[in-house]
Amino acid sequence: MEEVDSANILGEPDMNDVDDQEEEVYYASVPASKLQPRAVVSMARWNNEMGIAEVVVQKGTFSKTTGIVRSGKLYYSIEEVLFLVEIGALLLLDESDTGLSLEDIYVKMSGGKYKFCWEEFRAYRQLKSLGYIVGRHGIPWSMKGAKSNCESIPSQGFPESDKVLNLESEEIRSVIGLFNEMQINKVRPVFNVYLPNSKFRKSSPGDPSFVLCFTRGYPPSKVELEALEGQCGSIPLKFCNVEQGRVSFFSFDTVELPVLP
Amino acid sequence: MGPRWKGKGSKAKALADPMSKIVLQLHSCLIQSNSEGLLCGCSVLLSVEAQQADLLSRSCFGETMVTVEKDKQWFELSMEEAFYLCYALKCLKIVEDQCPKSDDQIWQYMKSRSALFPYLYKAYSHLRMKNWVVMSGITYGADFVAYRHHPELVHSEYAVIVSSEEEGDADKRLRVWSDIHCATRLCGGVAKTLLVLDISRNGHSVDSPSCLESYTVKERTITRWNPEQCREDHTIVESENGAKAGI
Repeated sequence: MEEVDSANILGEPDMNDVDDQEEEVYYASVPASKLQPRAVVSMARWNNEMGIAEVVVQKGTFSKTTGIVRSGKLYYSIEEVLFLVEIGALLLLDESDTGLSLEDIYVKMSGGKYKFCWEEFRAYRQLKSLGYIVGRHGIPWSMKGAKSNCESIPSQGFPESDKVLNLESEEIRSVIGLFNEMQINKVRPVFNVYLPNSKFRKSSPGDPSFVLCFTRGYPPSKVELEALEGQCGSIPLKFCNVEQGRVSFFSFDTVELPVLP
Repeated sequence: MGPRWKGKGSKAKALADPMSKIVLQLHSCLIQSNSEGLLCGCSVLLSVEAQQADLLSRSCFGETMVTVEKDKQWFELSMEEAFYLCYALKCLKIVEDQCPKSDDQIWQYMKSRSALFPYLYKAYSHLRMKNWVVMSGITYGADFVAYRHHPELVHSEYAVIVSSEEEGDADKRLRVWSDIHCATRLCGGVAKTLLVLDISRNGHSVDSPSCLESYTVKERTITRWNPEQCREDHTIVESENGAKAGI
């Protein structure tokens, strides 16, 4: 699986090492990229209005676990685009089919126009590099496999037609609107994360292994935890903290200590 | 992270001698001897005879004091320990200046010593009633540590932090991410799990110990998840570092 391969070459330094090992810090020069140029490169066209990219040439196996399918078309979100471009698996075209450099894309993202969150991307990149399957919480992988379980929006099967595609992108936008509302409450469920699985299917993704949540500034309060737990039912939650360039994941799990003899 | 028993046979030993039974023996033994503890600062001092001393040690209540007296053994109990023996088990009287104190008076006294006493006591009694051995966690920056049995047989499993959002400003721990990093890092280094006991008063006051019954306790562990170690299956592998294990 390509995702697994990329884990070896793109592995981030071990953030969670309990030993007191210092990370490698380079003084003299930054080592050259270990990423190999890829022979097979997909292409996607950026849609400025929707803030997502439509895949126009699909190569390799990334599409099995990346992007959402709507009316037979594959769309990549911003973080998916950025991740794939960073590892050289995707060429992003602008609306006039001109290829965009990585710098062009960073500039685009930094503008604040596309609800892009660098901290979320950092977590996304780390998990993807390790082969985890990461989708947006609340946005079904495909309308076929859409399940209401742990999704923020009720979703139903849509007949496939071009007209419906537009409706669906409305739906995508309304979902993003939902996220914005949650941001006011500081805590927001952002990604559905699945363990590395070569048999993963977008049409029947099953329940995620956990929902990755982000907070604004502070760890989740008891009230926030309980509200989110109610929302996500039996699916475990994890919380991401990206600070000083480090991505950390924490579980705040309800437990029940046994009554001992 | 399961229990870490100390050496061979410890688990069997613990199983054969359940903590609930030891506490029960302590209970009847203290009642028989009509034990009285002396209120002294944030401690309660207790002098006992050999049998009670043995039971206090085996059930991990208090710390022995070194004195020259041969026939009596002195113990220093924490406020939570003393109030548990006095109020929950009703096997210890607490006196001040030879004057016995009522439960309410002791409650007020201890509250005046520590504003968080109602919460700390609720947490302490919650774990004790489940027959966990609870001792001070101050050396780990926690309120308590919890053991499955006597510390001679098993390492403590949890570092316990008591939290109450109702108390607002008095309890500001674990409110910033660096605190969470700090606490989980420390716990990981001594092979413990961070357990947060969230105490809710549910609208009841802290005026009297009779309110305690209406308080609820929610148990939550905070653990760090390492994506590099957990790719395979659903079990969450904790980073273990047995070499630096605590008591």
